[in-house]
Amino acid sequence: MASEILMPRQGQSVESCIIIEWKKQEGDPITEGDILCEVETDKATFEVESTATGELLAILHEADADVEVLKPIAIVGENGEDVSAWKNASAQPEPDADATSAPDFTQSQPPKPSIPATTNSSNASEFISSPRARTTAAQRSIDITQLTGSGPHGRVIEQDVLAAKPTPQKTAPLPPGDLGEQTEIPAKGIRKVVAERMLNSLQTTAQLTLNSSVDARSILRFRQLCKQPERQEKFGKVSINDTVLYATVKALNAFPELNAHWAGDRSIQYENIHLGFAVDTPRGLMVPVIKKANTLSLLELSAEAKRLASNCIEGAIDPDDLTGGTFTVTNLGAMGIESFTPVLNAPEVAILGVCAIQPKPIMNGSETEFIPHMGLSLTFDHCAADGAPAARFIAHLREKISNIELTLLETLY
Amino acid sequence: MPKKQIIDPKKTRQSSEITFQPIPANQYQSNFKKELKTHGKERLIRIYEDMLIIREFETMLNLIKTQGAYEGVEYNHPGPAHLSIGQEAAAVGQAVHLSPEDFIFGSHRSHGEILAKCFSAIHQLDDQSLTTIMETFFDGATFNAIKDEAHATTREQAEAFVLYGTLAEIFARDTGFNRGLGGSMHAFFIPFGSMPNNALVGGSADIALGSALFKLINRKPGMVIANIGDASLGCGPVWESFSFASMDQFNDLWDDSFGRPPVLFNIMNNHYGMGGQTAGETMGFDMAARVGAGINPDQMHAERVDGYNPLAVADATQRKKEILASGKGPAFLDIVTYRMSGHSPSDASSYRSKEEMELWEEVDCVKSYGAYLIENGALTTEQLEALQKNTTAKIRRTLELATDTERSPYSDINLIESVMFSNQSVEKMDDREPEVLLAREENPRNNQLARKERYAFDSSGKPFSANKIYTYRDGIFEAMLHRFHTDPTFIAYGEENRDWGGAFACYRGLTESIPYHRLFNSPISEAAIVGTACGYAMSGGRVCAELMYCDFMGRAGDEIFNQMAKWQSMSAGILNMPLVLRVSVGNKYGAQHSQDWTALVAHIPGLKVFYPATPTDAKGMLNLALNGTDPVVFFESQKTYGIGEQFETAGVPEGYYETEEGQPIVRREGTDLTLVTLGPVLYSGIPAADELKQTYGLDVEVIDLRFVNPLNYDVLIESIRKTGRVVLASDAVERGSALHTIASNLTTLCFDHLDAPPVVIGAKNWISPAAEMEKEYYPQADWIIDAIHERILPLNGYTPKQNYTREELTRIANLGV
Repeated sequence: MASEILMPRQGQSVESCIIIEWKKQEGDPITEGDILCEVETDKATFEVESTATGELLAILHEADADVEVLKPIAIVGENGEDVSAWKNASAQPEPDADATSAPDFTQSQPPKPSIPATTNSSNASEFISSPRARTTAAQRSIDITQLTGSGPHGRVIEQDVLAAKPTPQKTAPLPPGDLGEQTEIPAKGIRKVVAERMLNSLQTTAQLTLNSSVDARSILRFRQLCKQPERQEKFGKVSINDTVLYATVKALNAFPELNAHWAGDRSIQYENIHLGFAVDTPRGLMVPVIKKANTLSLLELSAEAKRLASNCIEGAIDPDDLTGGTFTVTNLGAMGIESFTPVLNAPEVAILGVCAIQPKPIMNGSETEFIPHMGLSLTFDHCAADGAPAARFIAHLREKISNIELTLLETLY
Repeated sequence: MPKKQIIDPKKTRQSSEITFQPIPANQYQSNFKKELKTHGKERLIRIYEDMLIIREFETMLNLIKTQGAYEGVEYNHPGPAHLSIGQEAAAVGQAVHLSPEDFIFGSHRSHGEILAKCFSAIHQLDDQSLTTIMETFFDGATFNAIKDEAHATTREQAEAFVLYGTLAEIFARDTGFNRGLGGSMHAFFIPFGSMPNNALVGGSADIALGSALFKLINRKPGMVIANIGDASLGCGPVWESFSFASMDQFNDLWDDSFGRPPVLFNIMNNHYGMGGQTAGETMGFDMAARVGAGINPDQMHAERVDGYNPLAVADATQRKKEILASGKGPAFLDIVTYRMSGHSPSDASSYRSKEEMELWEEVDCVKSYGAYLIENGALTTEQLEALQKNTTAKIRRTLELATDTERSPYSDINLIESVMFSNQSVEKMDDREPEVLLAREENPRNNQLARKERYAFDSSGKPFSANKIYTYRDGIFEAMLHRFHTDPTFIAYGEENRDWGGAFACYRGLTESIPYHRLFNSPISEAAIVGTACGYAMSGGRVCAELMYCDFMGRAGDEIFNQMAKWQSMSAGILNMPLVLRVSVGNKYGAQHSQDWTALVAHIPGLKVFYPATPTDAKGMLNLALNGTDPVVFFESQKTYGIGEQFETAGVPEGYYETEEGQPIVRREGTDLTLVTLGPVLYSGIPAADELKQTYGLDVEVIDLRFVNPLNYDVLIESIRKTGRVVLASDAVERGSALHTIASNLTTLCFDHLDAPPVVIGAKNWISPAAEMEKEYYPQADWIIDAIHERILPLNGYTPKQNYTREELTRIANLGV
């Protein structure tokens, strides 16, 4: 009896996953536990193992198909078994993401055809658009490839273009002759998600960055203390970044307007702080979230950050750990960046960029003293907050960082 | 069925027997004295010379085809040459007593007949007439090629003109008799009475009869000969012509002044159809003349004649001519002859023995007749040899001239496009008063129509009752009545056209107004209906022929596809074809009575294809067709005959008007999708558009195509540029539908404006089923919505009933259904 291999649920918030690559082909012998394919959510990548043994009779969705969780993606069974029922069922049109923009006479979700169609699901991987949609997109400077098609077979048709916002003109590619051989790398997976989110963030928010720096002697000293042999075992893993995260949480307690989401016409502040932090992974940028960071001690925070970061790097992150952030910290200090403009992780209202620690000349009376300072770049959404409170937050954060011992001490009382 | 004729069972059931008269065979007795008296010595010698010229002409072509040279003149002729070496006496003998206004139509093997008929006419016409004909034909283009040659007399010059015009035509030269567009098998020259020759075996039978009908009905002088081969007696349309020509109504119902059509079916019996021996292998008539006995009580005056004696043929033709002049046609001759050459130069004569060929060579008609003249002292051996030498020189010179590309250039290929249609508007083909029985105002139906509602709805938008409205069939009637009263040459016929008023009552009321010879019932002979109409039209008349069901076009395939469509262009525009073929598209009558075959005729170059959907267009488009000079296949749907005018609020105009040719019309304006309909699908398209508007907010522009060919795309392009989406629908089966060509062109013309590929909706690629199942077969309003949903624009919450997925399209294509 043929068995369905389901798209596994990768966390409560995950509705569907995109199949990246099939590791097995139809006809391959399969043992339970074999890796069948690699899938990803907008946040992470996973491998799907076979839950049955036999022959891979049918692949129901080709690579790039977005499949609802707990729906069959493949059939494993004995050679020769009839799998046409599954094949037919999988041929239903794909959900359309762009519901709100469609004029009233069209649908957001194509109905299930009453006639069993046998759509070749490989079509789902092609980007298709009508000539008219392309002409209209060109006239309106819209990047048609970013649109989701509401036409038959996912074809982008004119109404999709009419409903889309114009995109800035992309720089035209230079003549290839000057550039030698060119290699095109299609944006896929996380790269595509990051691209969409960052562009959307910049297009839909009023971002402003404030740069400042903070006396780093306290945290450097604290780090030295942690690394001393007698404390190494318990505190050795606490990094400067962990310390900054901790200080940020403490600072945020006094600035709930920055621990918030902007919903277009209102700001939503949260009691708990879900602190996102950027992690550079081989697959690209990922932002795991430390849930309820405001309830954690420095050691707990440090341990949770380590766990999340290594899961990201290994590709083992639970998608639920990648959602729900209320504030994000991104640290480029290790790479010598002195200041930058972090891009908001919309709808979050603010993001803190942590920069390199460098000596800074400070006037002390008539003397000039070189004191190590750490750069801080805070980007916030001017829709949700003004510059003065944001500056006050940085000042408060500087307090917390420059006197980290006191900050830690406060938690004891 | 005419009411005045009673079929009396007493009479028809009476015991009796059919008797036949003996059919004469080869009964001509040579009598030189008598022949000298009949023809005169000069004409007797001229007969020999004509035969000699034809023999040499064909011999030359044979050498050109087989050896690439004749008398030192080299030439490569890639086209056909079906030669009649051995058949000269038949051709020349036939022409002896024919007047220039007598017509001969022929076959693919008619070079000899063309030359003989033209030489005969030259012999009878005076110099002035000859010069005028030569100078005016194609504005002297043909004449210019030979007029600076030295000729002793105008007749000699005319003879050189005919030889040259024929050969230049065979060689596809612009100076040929048909500017090179007819070629060897179709060449002709009307001023001397040589009418089109036909590459379809037996193709001239019904066309010649139509030409005879033209002469009969329009009281024109002369007879018409169909030169067809013995093998054509195996062709249905030939038999149809025999019985059509023999209809009792010519004697019993038409005015006494007419008689029967002056047509002679002349079998050039060379005993072979290609390689098939007719008497002995492929047929069973023994002597072809026998078949006359089966056709009518006059036995078609059938006779077998020795076609190896030109004087026997001349005598027989003259006797038949007299019979035809007395209105007692048709006549039938079985002219015994023999083709020495092969069917074509590639024929190795493997089907006949050397012995047989030698037997005929021994009695060779040219040699025998020459010997006969010498024997009777009309010609000396020296004179005969001089004639032979002179003939060779003439043919050699003709060859030189016709192959000289400077003097005889090839036709510009674009000429063909310019002669595909004649595109004239001619109210009447003759000036005389049309013969009618009632003044138009006195016609009972005309008066009845005056009381009808010419718009289908009253002022509150409620439809009038079916009995009160002016319908589609009334539009057909009005256009017909108008033309009968306008053009004296205009005739109409088909099955049940007269007393019945046509199977669908379009002609009801015409019987009262129009005399028999202008409106009559034909036999159930679709090939002959169309073929005779072709002959009638190309001879100078205007005709509306009717096929009761579109499906019956299958019975008239050659006549529609090869004759009606092609003669204007094959004649380089010399001939016009003011022939409207009305065909009714059926339904409810199953697989052989319910097909829309617009695609079949649209595919054939040279036909105009009209398909009105409304009463206003039925009248306006038929007026247009009947005022034109081109062949039109005029489709009418039986679904629409009874409907009133639903779109033109002013109603169907009462006076005369014409629809603009090739123009589709916007029936409803819209911005979101273009729905193009052909024929009655318009009436499924409107409810579909209503539903799309009401339920899905989709504003559909509905365009009624009206014309398939010619077709002006401007309206369609403008609409699609606006809407970006197009569905085309007709009742024709989807595969090969004419709409696919239009859809393909629209894709080319509007590609960057299209939001989805054009969708063509047609009937299923099956047989049309019983009436009870038609809703599952012909496109319905919801099919249109289904197709839009599946192929163009998914509709919110819509569940299609028909399967228009791409998978279904490839599935049925794979199955061929």
